Amino acid sequence: MFIILVYDVGEKRVGKVLKICRKYLNWVQNSVLEGEISDAGFKKLKLELKRAINDQEDSVIFYILRTTKYSSRETMGIKKGGDEMII
Amino acid sequence: MKKPIYIFSSGELKRKDNTIYFENEEGQKFIPVENTSEIFVFGEVNVNKRFLEFITQAEIILHFFNHHDYYVGSYYPREHLNSGFMILKQAEHYLDAGKRQKLASEFVMGASKNIQHVLRYYSNRGKNLAEVENGIKNLEQKIYACSDVEELMAIEGNTRDYYYKAFDYILEKPEFTFGQRTRRPPQNNLNTLISFGNSMIYTIVLSEIYKTHLDPRIGYLHATNFRRFTLNLDIAEIFKPIIIDRVIFTLIGRNMITKDDFEKSTAGIVLKENARKTFVEELENKLKTTFNHRTLGKNVSYRRLIRLELYKLEKHLMGEEEYKPYVASW
Repeated sequence: MFIILVYDVGEKRVGKVLKICRKYLNWVQNSVLEGEISDAGFKKLKLELKRAINDQEDSVIFYILRTTKYSSRETMGIKKGGDEMII
Repeated sequence: MKKPIYIFSSGELKRKDNTIYFENEEGQKFIPVENTSEIFVFGEVNVNKRFLEFITQAEIILHFFNHHDYYVGSYYPREHLNSGFMILKQAEHYLDAGKRQKLASEFVMGASKNIQHVLRYYSNRGKNLAEVENGIKNLEQKIYACSDVEELMAIEGNTRDYYYKAFDYILEKPEFTFGQRTRRPPQNNLNTLISFGNSMIYTIVLSEIYKTHLDPRIGYLHATNFRRFTLNLDIAEIFKPIIIDRVIFTLIGRNMITKDDFEKSTAGIVLKENARKTFVEELENKLKTTFNHRTLGKNVSYRRLIRLELYKLEKHLMGEEEYKPYVASW
């Protein structure tokens, strides 16, 4: 599946959360990551995040798409990050 | 699901924040380690031991290619699927001449059938390929009658000679005439594309072998020796026509690669970097393409298809089910 992850966490934990997410997903811009992920990978990611965030103050949202077939993306302004597999 | 990464620029690969990090003058990039299957390195890339340790843990293979696109070698992490049983079975089938002959002839048969499949597609579209098709059909009848592997290799070679002749009729482009097969170094544009494609498929199959219990050092059609992996060459024979050659036809047919994409160097004709990227992109699209697999009744990608072929071979070696090569059927 394809997921878009957005997070809004306390300043202290931003680095920690970002590092965890970067292991699984591609960074697109501040607090936003996206990418293809397996069911198991998604579970692992959620488990790791659960340990890192403070669930009284922080929030993480996953937008889950079964496939990206019916979606499209438009962007404005500069491109900050991406998912190229050819570097 | 996991994606391969292709690195054409130069820079440094590192372990950082428990993931893969690529850095050069132009910028930096984090690569999600959990979503990476293998890394193809074409540029001048530095790595350190810490990175290799990390890659080993994640079971990611690094494939290196040199300046002229030749396959240099792979960083093949410590075997994580160790099976003494499978190695013994593999060796047993290699040492027994009859068993080896059986497997080798299946590989040649698979290659021949898939070649004919590609040719049929084009002859249905009005290309004049009857002569080539007949030639290959005649050779095919001799496959099971061969007495040793050398003879099989000769048939395989002759099939390819016929087949490559057909390229000129299919492509109909004067700047991509085949001439004759030249390697190390390739001497014309089409040969360069074929060589590049072949070294890509060899490494892709190797990556897939790494995910099974098979040992890539023991091949059947290609004699096992002291130098190189050979099982991936065997399996690649089956898939070259339906994956690599089709990609080449697409690239040339749609003018995605033209004669300006090649340059002459001391080592024959080489592909320019942009064309290499185009090739890899198209190949990756092909590998990702899914289709309905007749016996499984499920959608599988071409990359998955390669793995399924390896599982079939494992079954054959264990004596569970006779190996039949994959033959394209649509």
